[in-house]
Amino acid sequence: MAVAAPPLRGRVHPARWVKDNLFGTVWDAVLTLAFAVVGVWALSGAVRFVFVSGRWEIVRDSVTSLLVGLFPRAELWRVWLLTFAVATAAGFVTGAARTRRLAEDPSLPRASASAAARDIARRSWPLAALVVVLLVLRPSPTGAALLAVLAAASAGAWWAGTLVPPRRTMLANLPPAALVAVAFWLVVGAGGVGWDRWGGLLLTLFLAAAGVAVSFPIGVLLALGRRSRLPAVRLTCVGYIELIRGVPLITLLFMGSFVVGFLFPPGSSRPSLVTRALIAIIAFTAAYIAEIVRGGLQAVPRAQLEAALAVGLSPIAAMRLVVLPQALRAVIPAIVGQFISLFKDTSLVAIIGLSDLLRIGQGLTSNPRFLAQGLQAEILVFVSFVYWVGAYSMSKASQRLEVRMGVGVR
Amino acid sequence: MNERSAAADATKPRASGEMIVLEGVEKWFDSFQALRGVDLVVGRQENVVICGPSGSGKSTLIRCINRLESHDRGRVVVDGIELTDDLRNISEVRREVGMVFQQFNLFPHLTVLENVTLAPRHVRHRPRKEAEEEAMEILERVQIPEQARKYPAQLSGGQQQRAAIARALAMNPKIMLFDEPTSALDPEMIKEVLDVMQELATSGMTMIVVTHEMGFARAVANRIVFMDAGEIVEVGTPEHFFTNPREERTKLFLSQIL
Repeated sequence: MAVAAPPLRGRVHPARWVKDNLFGTVWDAVLTLAFAVVGVWALSGAVRFVFVSGRWEIVRDSVTSLLVGLFPRAELWRVWLLTFAVATAAGFVTGAARTRRLAEDPSLPRASASAAARDIARRSWPLAALVVVLLVLRPSPTGAALLAVLAAASAGAWWAGTLVPPRRTMLANLPPAALVAVAFWLVVGAGGVGWDRWGGLLLTLFLAAAGVAVSFPIGVLLALGRRSRLPAVRLTCVGYIELIRGVPLITLLFMGSFVVGFLFPPGSSRPSLVTRALIAIIAFTAAYIAEIVRGGLQAVPRAQLEAALAVGLSPIAAMRLVVLPQALRAVIPAIVGQFISLFKDTSLVAIIGLSDLLRIGQGLTSNPRFLAQGLQAEILVFVSFVYWVGAYSMSKASQRLEVRMGVGVR
Repeated sequence: MNERSAAADATKPRASGEMIVLEGVEKWFDSFQALRGVDLVVGRQENVVICGPSGSGKSTLIRCINRLESHDRGRVVVDGIELTDDLRNISEVRREVGMVFQQFNLFPHLTVLENVTLAPRHVRHRPRKEAEEEAMEILERVQIPEQARKYPAQLSGGQQQRAAIARALAMNPKIMLFDEPTSALDPEMIKEVLDVMQELATSGMTMIVVTHEMGFARAVANRIVFMDAGEIVEVGTPEHFFTNPREERTKLFLSQIL
């Protein structure tokens, strides 16, 4: 008996593919040509703006302001220090995580170090593009050298991280965390610059990172509280969530700006405007995270809780080890989406007078040198690009996390 | 000493010592009474099979033994510990009682090995290495050591149920409860699970098994309990139960499933 072979599905010749897919019928051909015209027109316009007509000197002359606002220039080394700490820590943690993953699942393909490096490069190309843009706008041998050392330090830390024994990777997260904490303290404390004087991209990133780090655990606790059997806890959480979700973020920011001050006794030192804005952002995001996590909790069957209790886990341990991990895994895309929103919504702090990335950019157009020359487009394109790099990187990281955790597979 | 006392003896455990004592257990779900005064004593190392039509309260009964359901009246005593609202008693009993579910209920986000070691590590606070070594021994016992690093979704139904049995055994329970362990399995996988259960029964484990597998009941059970409408209709040894059932309801049930 002949063994049945699958039907041949060889590669189609390119010309054949074009004919079949783009010019199959007269109507197809018309559409193809129309879109080609529009596409070429849009692309040529964009290319001309970026490379020919755009007056990028407005960005070039203010790169430092866009990145750090009014941060005292003499203290900029502290920001570099923090950047180094974050890059090194991130490299180390990623390397250690890779070793653990390979140890846990021996069936994973063991990519060579160079392949892994290529993988990292593929993932971080938007960030690399931003760095290149900055260096092209403002060629600086010192800056380029520092960035090269930064990349090398990160790669070295990654390699060091891969050497951590798989069993110890949780412990191995402590040194990098301590490193970042110390560097952060060196920036804000120890004669440094408090975050009330930060600005530009630095402020934007700080608001976003601190917002994510603090609002997430609060949101999870609110979600658990909303399902509590204790009426007082449940009502408090429901009340908080529904109240916050009923108010626009801008309103909360204004309240942080004007109202919160009255809550402090006269004469006492009030938190700075940045801190108050951060509190408003955290309060706002936590309510949304809580609702997302609650949705995740509802998606976990009750039988999972019963099975966890039946093997002897306490209700708290069952929640922590069995129910919550499954709930969070199910809502990774929604949570990351919320964080991307948060990242972009930090631009609203401009309204209460903070000089974040967007506000600094807007301010540049009223600089006497560039006043009334219609250079908003250049600034907005640049600022949009910076936001896009951040948001797209988060989106990519989310997809990776989903694959890692087997969303939709297990 | 005659036939009558022999029949009465059948309601008592054969082996010595009481492991589980149920006295007048009643359970309501809102206005529906699921258990109507159940009395049952299960002895140490005894294997009891519970059968009966669906909705007869079999699952509810064994879920009262590890307090996944709370009973509304009567007493439930497990290895000398009475189950009340006292959380310490409940957790003590749950550590001694393993349970296997119809739908396996493995933790899908953990590997088989992590499923098995979760409770020893976080309830008994065993070091990870020891817990994993013991888990591998148990997985050998249920004959799926090669599946240790896989996730539940990568296993067949029979393998999943054996992993679930291993997970329950990892806490070294004195009692194992099985809630229709083969009902969700394809026919060709039922035997591999029943074989593991049979090995467990002969090893001296105290077991209560809710099942419709009458071949298993005949081979393994010391006593068979027939339930209907929330009460125990008849209790007896397999010979008595299959050859000479007393109650009409038992006869009717057996005629339907055999």
